[in-house]
Amino acid sequence: MKPRAAALLFTCLLAATARAHIGSPNVFFEGRAGPHAVRVVIRPPQTFPGLAQADVRVSDSDVTAVIVQPAFLGAGADTEPPATDAVRVTGETGLWNASFWLLRRGSYDIGVKLASSRGDGAVAVPLQADALARPVMPPALGAALLAFAALLAAGAVALAAAAARDGARAPDQPASSRDSRRARIGAGLAALACAGALAGGHARWLAMDREFANALAKPVPVLADVRGDGAQPLLHLALPQGTPPMSAWDSLVTDHGKLMHLFLVREPDQDAFAHLHPVRRSAGDFEGVVPPIPGGTYQLYAEVTHEDGTAETLVSRVNLPPPAGAALQAGADPNASVLCMSPTALRGNAAQPSALDFDDAWHVRSRSAPSSADPAHVAALMGGGRMELASDGELVADRDTALRFRAFGADGAPLALEPYMGMLGHAALRRSDGSVFAHLHPAGSVSMAAAELLAKRDGTVSPFAAPTPAEAREVEFPYAFPKPGDYRLWVQIRTGGRVLTGVFDVRVRERA
Amino acid sequence: MLLLLGALGVPLTLFWDFSWESTIGVDAFASPPHAANYAAVALACAGALALARRDTRDGAAGIALGPLRAPVGAWLTLWGGLAFGAALCFDRWWQASYGLTAGLWHPPQIAKTVAYFAVVAGAWLHALARQDAPGGTARAALAGAALLAMIAVVTVPQTFANRQHSAVFFQLGCATYPLVLVAQCTAGRARLPATGAALAYMAFEVLLVWLLPLFPGSPLAGPVYNMREHLLPPPFPLLLVVPALAIDGLLRVVPAGAGRAAAVSHALEAGVAFFGLFALVQWRFSTFLLSGGADDWFFAGGGREWPFFLHIDPSARNAFWDGVSPALDGASATLAAGLAIASAGAGLVVGGALRELRR
Repeated sequence: MKPRAAALLFTCLLAATARAHIGSPNVFFEGRAGPHAVRVVIRPPQTFPGLAQADVRVSDSDVTAVIVQPAFLGAGADTEPPATDAVRVTGETGLWNASFWLLRRGSYDIGVKLASSRGDGAVAVPLQADALARPVMPPALGAALLAFAALLAAGAVALAAAAARDGARAPDQPASSRDSRRARIGAGLAALACAGALAGGHARWLAMDREFANALAKPVPVLADVRGDGAQPLLHLALPQGTPPMSAWDSLVTDHGKLMHLFLVREPDQDAFAHLHPVRRSAGDFEGVVPPIPGGTYQLYAEVTHEDGTAETLVSRVNLPPPAGAALQAGADPNASVLCMSPTALRGNAAQPSALDFDDAWHVRSRSAPSSADPAHVAALMGGGRMELASDGELVADRDTALRFRAFGADGAPLALEPYMGMLGHAALRRSDGSVFAHLHPAGSVSMAAAELLAKRDGTVSPFAAPTPAEAREVEFPYAFPKPGDYRLWVQIRTGGRVLTGVFDVRVRERA
Repeated sequence: MLLLLGALGVPLTLFWDFSWESTIGVDAFASPPHAANYAAVALACAGALALARRDTRDGAAGIALGPLRAPVGAWLTLWGGLAFGAALCFDRWWQASYGLTAGLWHPPQIAKTVAYFAVVAGAWLHALARQDAPGGTARAALAGAALLAMIAVVTVPQTFANRQHSAVFFQLGCATYPLVLVAQCTAGRARLPATGAALAYMAFEVLLVWLLPLFPGSPLAGPVYNMREHLLPPPFPLLLVVPALAIDGLLRVVPAGAGRAAAVSHALEAGVAFFGLFALVQWRFSTFLLSGGADDWFFAGGGREWPFFLHIDPSARNAFWDGVSPALDGASATLAAGLAIASAGAGLVVGGALRELRR
């Protein structure tokens, strides 16, 4: 490879490895390693250096060895530590586990190699390892340490006084007034030293904690407002004043052919949802048509990736006006209780923000819509159809889960799934308190573009070489909910040329 | 004896830990050097407890704190042991919460360092107070060496040969070592107490330079910028024996005067002598350590031995890092000399107090 091309590939690689989510650090990957279908779940540590866990599931019984090789991207060639041999998990079929150390936060290429009688295979899983949360000391530990500190300070003062008074005195000699004065001086100096040490330690702790908090991986706030006339309002996103140059939007790369994936969730009921793809107007502006969704306050999540190796989740909040006039969607039923909408064809020039993107989609649920008898497993689709969550058993936090969905028409017949931005479906999920937001694909939570680039870097074939099935009736998203709680899932599929969105409310229980 | 062995074990295991982290990179709670370190602290505390038990039983000697009696040194070691336990709990939480992302010198690390110094200083006090016993002067020299080694291990990142022309290196050395050497000289009863402690320190550390690389080890985490196959040796010991000999000469061979003026004079002489000789010797010796002549098992120099995680340009391996740590100049040398005088003055005060110590 020519140096320039290699440099470009590497730049793109760094950019695409980081996958931006909120509160969902684990990485899920599904693809092919040579002749074997493989699913990899990587749980990065929360502190560094720290131990990461890789669970590798292969359905083929002839796999004889699994090796995990982490590589820190940007460190240069030949800087990988020795590979780790994964071990079979007792009592599980086709599940292997490996623990490996990550020295520091940053972008990694986690190579997974399989050996079998039918041939070896390898996949490269992109991982962005970051600290996510500011630590809080448990009150009991804090109280115990305070008690220790008080005991140590008292001991230091008492020892200094006793040593100053008695240290140079013979045991049978009574203490003089000079000895007593020395004791007081010793005690005073010790008390001063202890107070200074405690105050200095506390100040240092606060300073380090501030620095740690500033460096946490967190969503980037942006400005959002609505512009244009009442007939066709435009949603405008802008970088705030003082945004560092590295965050400017003139260096974005595409993911699934889009520079930005924007998700809108209406608050507080989460009864309206949109997945949009605004158009970049300048290095600091994006604009897109506001679809005909109800007015109100919306939480915005936008995913962008820069060429220079940073990926960001942008967040904002915006008040949208009520839609004016008829919906843009031809054939939409304004009286329907559930609207799943998307443009059925390009309107004008998609590069102009006066048109919705062909892959834009939104979902509105009327307040008067009857509640599903089982909102965790059945969601109404526009036109009388339904979508079902086919996964068995209850959802448990931090447990590898395959979220499988099927869609049915009004007549009860299964719907055939068509590619939607190159795959069988997209899903977004949000915890009720907003602390978790993730955008999932059937290939997991990794950036497929990043995985392709890593495969090229490692000299392996694409892990997504298998074509999307022509007659697919089911879409599956590998994931593990990071913590217990109530989640809303929006699952988007394309069928009959139109994007439909199924909405599920699931409860995730704590892992025992 | 247990107290002294434990105190010697503290810097020994800390050097091992430095070598382990620089070679293997995985710093678990119960890694072998950590476990050995806990054992060293426990050993020192066991020795201190044995002394406390004896003094409490006899009822006469020792310093009384409540119903218990113990020598001052034993009390200090026990205080250090308690502080170490608390710091370890704090450190466990810190490592699980912040890791090393927030920085190296975090509060529990500083607390542990204070505890280590208390444990070792307790042994030093006790050894200096018991020099009249058979082998007492040798034990005092070993305890002084342990204290010097503690300073060396805490300042090890600044003592790579590549930094030994830097102002920070000389200022750190001048602020710390004269205190111990002058106090050792003042309170010691051997013929050349500071020299003996400095020689013991050098022997102690050079043994680690020779022994640690005999053990295999390679990094378990990446990126690996310098592949290692054996444990990293610490930097070759500082040639403290030269300024220590001068301090012994100035304070013991030359007749001492009395009064505050004589003390100030002694501090000035000892401080200036330390700075001058330390700077002269290390300036030239570090040049040798970076040369091909030191590229062998004896000196572990020549720019060959590096922590696996240090990304270093090949041209910087045998060079002084003036760009990172500015070299000593007139102003920084004046400050270093001033620190050496102040440190020597503090050493005179501490040594004077230790000379009077009876319990």
